[in-house]
Amino acid sequence: MCFARLGMILLLCVALAGCGDNLVPSGTDQRPPVQSGSTGPGVGQNAADFSVSEISGTTVTRASALSGKKAIVLYFTMWCPSCDEQTAQLQTMIPSYPDVGFYLVDYVSGSVTDAAAAALANGFTGVGFGILADTGHQMQNSLQGTMGTTVVIDAAGVILLNEDFRNGSRLQAALAGLP
Amino acid sequence: MTLLRNLSGTLKAALVAGCLLAGSGTAWAGSCCGGGSNTALMVPKYAKAVADLSFDYENYHGFWNQNGRHTSDPPGADLNQYRLNLGGAYRFFEDWQVSLIIPYLWNDNTYSGVSSQTSGLGDTTLSVWYDLLDDTSPWRVHTARDLVPAVSIGLSLLLPTGYSPYDDLKSSFDVTGRGFYRLDGNLYIEKMIRHWDLSLAASYGTYFERSVNREYGKYVEPYHKDLGDRTFLSASLGYGFLLGTGGDTLTTTASYAYLDEADVSYNGQRDPNSGFMKQSVGGMLSFAGTDRDWSVRAGWNHAIRESGWGRNFPTTDIFTVGVRYVFR
Repeated sequence: MCFARLGMILLLCVALAGCGDNLVPSGTDQRPPVQSGSTGPGVGQNAADFSVSEISGTTVTRASALSGKKAIVLYFTMWCPSCDEQTAQLQTMIPSYPDVGFYLVDYVSGSVTDAAAAALANGFTGVGFGILADTGHQMQNSLQGTMGTTVVIDAAGVILLNEDFRNGSRLQAALAGLP
Repeated sequence: MTLLRNLSGTLKAALVAGCLLAGSGTAWAGSCCGGGSNTALMVPKYAKAVADLSFDYENYHGFWNQNGRHTSDPPGADLNQYRLNLGGAYRFFEDWQVSLIIPYLWNDNTYSGVSSQTSGLGDTTLSVWYDLLDDTSPWRVHTARDLVPAVSIGLSLLLPTGYSPYDDLKSSFDVTGRGFYRLDGNLYIEKMIRHWDLSLAASYGTYFERSVNREYGKYVEPYHKDLGDRTFLSASLGYGFLLGTGGDTLTTTASYAYLDEADVSYNGQRDPNSGFMKQSVGGMLSFAGTDRDWSVRAGWNHAIRESGWGRNFPTTDIFTVGVRYVFR
């Protein structure tokens, strides 16, 4: 039975050696320093401009989205279960912030038509969100967005928040802090 | 009488091979929700060790939302995960055994016209089991004592060896693990009577809170995250057919499984509606030869694609083929 014992120990060693950073999670703040006025995805940086199509076919740019608004909220969705749950939470916030534009960013659909079909299937059309089809992955790349990423950009184009939605409390705090 | 004992032994071995995995294993998967491992691999009482190799193919068909409403994936979506599970279990004392299951995952997804393929190690499960009671009379029932089932209790530790959202990943499609340690308390009850085998499995697990300073490769302000406690229940019923006169056995097993995970919390603050629930049914065919050392199996696990059978979780079909060798 030596063989079986050794085999199991070897298996465990292989697993432990091959894994990511989760065995010893770090709580150290490793955010890179941000230079004020620079463009990038970090909090305090200017958001890069974008030009994407809404599922209605209208082109939306950073400037047009921010026009007349105190800020915009971008939520990256792939229409998964947790996206659905967080989108529902986000939807409840919309009436409290009439001066903020709320957008769902579909970063996985390959066409505007596909994005429109996904939004319709999930019941999030016509409920207060603009739905952007990021088919060219402009926003995904410039904001490092993925499933659940929530970005707040203020009227000056500066990023106030860029992180996972989590339970929405930090988004609420960011919106409450708007002038 | 000797023939009866032989039949009993053959059937018991075959039923064990056919039923243990069908009843106690639940596949943990999901490109968006983590990849994983089967939870149990146990050594039959008569053996010293078991080696097991299985291959899962999991295909996604939409999800249940937070209200339990089933939503289909958009047209053209094709989300798949393949898992190669390498497992071993070793009985180190008469009533004690330890097991290890390591999965390797491939995600192969096409979603609304965009394709992605990634692979990596999944989360590893390390378990220790103690046989509390033995099923001493699987063939004949003369007295109430003969109805006593085999009862095992155990502890499993899920090791976050897969790639989680807190690693240096670009996308949720790259995820192969949960990123959390979890400790499960397990209970396994099994009774075999003649050709029939009834088994019940239950486990309750708690995740260990962890620090997070990165989300999909992007460093963020550090915070603490904890996943909700996890409950798993399953029941399975198997029937073994003797094939011919040589002692080969074909076992069919039907199973039902219930999985529930409570809400996630961030810095101690619960996120309501973030927990999930899944109910599934399964079937498995297992073949064991006369010598009872080798067995092969093929199974199917189906999440019921109807509203109300789950919450916040993908609906999938899992097809499994596996081979197992028992060391005496």
